[in-house]
Amino acid sequence: MGVISVEHSDRIFWLGRYTERVFTTLKNLEKQYDSMIDDDPMIYMEFLQNFGLDDIYGNMQNFVSSFLFDQNNLHSVAYSLEKAYDNGIVLRENISSKALSFLQLAKDTLNKAFNSQKGLLFSLLPLEDSLFAFWGCINEYIYDDEIITLLMCGKYVERLDLYFRLKYDIKYIKLEFERLCDYLKKVPENTPYRYNAKYLNDLSEIIDIKEKYTDRLNDAVKSLGNLFLK
Amino acid sequence: MRELKNENSLADTPAGNANEINELLRRYGVKFGIYKNGVFNEQFFPFDPIPRVISAEHFAVIEKGLIQRVTALNMFLYDIYHEKRIIKDNIIPEDFIYMSSGYLPQCEGIMPPKNIYSHISGIDLVQGKDGKWYILEDNLRIPSGASYPLIARELTRVASPKIFSDNPIADNRNYASLLKDTLDFSNCGGINAILTPGRCNAAYFEHSYLAELTESVLVQNHELFVENNILYHKTYSGEKNKVGTLYRRISDEYLDPLTFIPQSLIGIPNIMEAYRCGNIAIINAIGNGVADDKGIYYFVPKMIKYYLNEEPMLSNAPTYLPFYEKDKKYILDHIDKLVIKDVSESGGYGVTFGKELSKEKLQEFKSVITNEPRRFIAQEIIDFLELPIMDGEKAVMRKADLRAFVLSGESTRVWSSGLTRFSRNPDSFVVNSSQGGGFKDTWVLSQ
Amino acid sequence: MKKLHFSFSTKLTFDDNVYNHSFALRCIPINNSTQSILNYDLEIKPFVSTKLTMDAFGNNVISGYIQEKHRYLDFDINGTAQIDSTIKTNDYLPCYLYQSKYTKPNDELKAFYNDIANQCRLFTPADRAAYFSQKLFDCMTYEKNITNTQTEASDAFKIKKGVCQDYSHIMLSLLRIDKIPCRYIAGLSSCAGETHSWIEFWDGNGWIGLDPANNCFVTDDYLILTQGRDFMDCSIDRGVMFGSYTRQMQLITSTLEQQ
Repeated sequence: MGVISVEHSDRIFWLGRYTERVFTTLKNLEKQYDSMIDDDPMIYMEFLQNFGLDDIYGNMQNFVSSFLFDQNNLHSVAYSLEKAYDNGIVLRENISSKALSFLQLAKDTLNKAFNSQKGLLFSLLPLEDSLFAFWGCINEYIYDDEIITLLMCGKYVERLDLYFRLKYDIKYIKLEFERLCDYLKKVPENTPYRYNAKYLNDLSEIIDIKEKYTDRLNDAVKSLGNLFLK
Repeated sequence: MRELKNENSLADTPAGNANEINELLRRYGVKFGIYKNGVFNEQFFPFDPIPRVISAEHFAVIEKGLIQRVTALNMFLYDIYHEKRIIKDNIIPEDFIYMSSGYLPQCEGIMPPKNIYSHISGIDLVQGKDGKWYILEDNLRIPSGASYPLIARELTRVASPKIFSDNPIADNRNYASLLKDTLDFSNCGGINAILTPGRCNAAYFEHSYLAELTESVLVQNHELFVENNILYHKTYSGEKNKVGTLYRRISDEYLDPLTFIPQSLIGIPNIMEAYRCGNIAIINAIGNGVADDKGIYYFVPKMIKYYLNEEPMLSNAPTYLPFYEKDKKYILDHIDKLVIKDVSESGGYGVTFGKELSKEKLQEFKSVITNEPRRFIAQEIIDFLELPIMDGEKAVMRKADLRAFVLSGESTRVWSSGLTRFSRNPDSFVVNSSQGGGFKDTWVLSQ
Repeated sequence: MKKLHFSFSTKLTFDDNVYNHSFALRCIPINNSTQSILNYDLEIKPFVSTKLTMDAFGNNVISGYIQEKHRYLDFDINGTAQIDSTIKTNDYLPCYLYQSKYTKPNDELKAFYNDIANQCRLFTPADRAAYFSQKLFDCMTYEKNITNTQTEASDAFKIKKGVCQDYSHIMLSLLRIDKIPCRYIAGLSSCAGETHSWIEFWDGNGWIGLDPANNCFVTDDYLILTQGRDFMDCSIDRGVMFGSYTRQMQLITSTLEQQ
């Protein structure tokens, strides 16, 4: 082991981030879509505000469609999935052809859902399945702990970042932060994704205090963004 | 010749499962990249589900003939860069060696590890309508394509298992272990690495897939460096791992900017010095181009006699060299039934069929041949066997060749399969993937 | 026979930091029967571990790799050589008979060759080489800063101007059309301040030096650093480095004097 180059470490980290971004964004859009069925049709506005975006969509249908399928929307599932695949394709020998095949399958499924006449949530189910299968392959086929560690660091950094922005309950934030810390500790020193102690400490502090972490949201996101030495 | 057993319905054959197999190939990213109008695009390599089947008897002949040929070619490469006996003994005129762009004087006197030059040889063959196999071309530099039938087989077995249990089809999935053995055998101590120019290379899928299967590290040049004449791979923690075998997928002239083209951005500076000192096996060796030159092709049967004192078991397509007066006269007299190849071109380019030229063009071309005889070879057009390929719902007949893979490590072995390429165009003899052709799996029967 | 003291130094300075710098220096004179190197001292700064190998053309290659950031690379060699140009060397390679990248003749150069070869009534390689050299010398003008290290024989011949490197390439081109094997030499001579270039041709038994830029045969006042098919094989320093766009300044000084 120990054959990861600097470039590969970046690719691995960002593969973790983008696959997670696809997953959590998808989950959120599904939630939004679900609540729209019997609730306020403008509920998506809050989602946009969380990311500091303007409503250029006018209605829920356009919003969901853009955030799922629009390659030009930098926050969309389609865009993140393409980015995940871009990183994955140059990591075939690290992550296995099998794992990579599930990213291709996810892309194909998203395309199918776009053209599907069936209910949107129903068409998106296999997409979620492929992402689970992807992570299953990661656990199953990768023997190099350093690769898994980097992937997981990417994954949980992204998850925390999105949870912060989407103002998730502190209970979940704490759980995910603990998961992240488990992996951060395993990153070897003198490598680009070794954590920066100061910012890790800041994060820990923000999450630990009783008052609402959302008051210090900007600090939290900033500390997360500075988490690595590189 | 044994026929393939198929008592079941079409649904059990690969042809009946073409959609399923193609979907699987898609899912596994079996693509090749091409540049069109400056834009990079990845395309799926069109796969034809009807396999080429080669009987055990036929393949036994091919196998022996290829081992003989590659053995002689390896001896030739050693000879050219050392004693040059074959020139001194007047078997090959020296112009054919030293005017070849593949001959690299920088390699004079260098002994590759274990004295192997062509570790992975891709030999292109065609089968004539008379059933006889002919050698069309040797590829001793960076022959590509083995990964395609390899993954196609894996997926075909998933989609159409029954035909494999009903027939004695030699498993071709040992290519990875053959390749790994080859990389390991020449290894000078250190890891095996596959050097790719990057994702935009046409064969990137192959580079990454073979890296996965042989557990090699897939690298680009900026991850490598030479220090004290040793090649190292640099890790993200700043450590360096010695590389013992470099299976490079970039061509000689770009390999070392301090020896060859100075502007090369994909090479590794001073790798030539590490190689000269015997600290790294480079697969295939540098300078092999002198042996797969289209002009040298003519002399391969003579090489076999010269080095091995054996009769060649596989024939070349009948070939003429305008360099020889007698041949030149024959070529000029019979140009309408010959195919003329420019020795400096590859990938299906620089191929001219005499019968396709207008009167004026023909006259023009004849004078080019007369003025630059060393630049061309002429071959009889072999009426080669056509194979069925699926065109929509029905099968049509198309020209096809076979690229067989010969691996040289501790011993020289032929992979019991190969890449069968076919032309899309019914009138075309050109089967290269860069010219829009597709591929088939090659089934060698084991009994 | 002469005993000569030689010195050669190159100072490369970059106007910004460079790193991952690989280099190959061919600055240690060849040791052979014509010139024996009695002693030499090579100093490279910044400090770097180097290896010495010999390339296919017989040149000494000093290779090194500097990973850390640096802004200069200096190398300095001096030593003593004993030179006897009456003793021929005979290290032959077949490629010397064939045109190479820099020497490929165009139609104009071929026509010039046909012209002078038609007039030439001489037979030995030495006589023919001297004859061609004279003809070339008559039609060329030595002029600096018109051509550069990329200039090939045909280009320099087109403008009939150039420096020693161009004279050498054209001369090699002519001799190779004439089927006389020949090679490019880079080295030091007592009449030049930087490096000089000349050629050697094969007279059937060994190599004979000829200096086309000065239209004379080589004497004991020439020291060979490198030899090869053309300039490409004979670069005294080649390097590849990383860094932001960096201009480099190179200062070369050399001396060759009798002891």
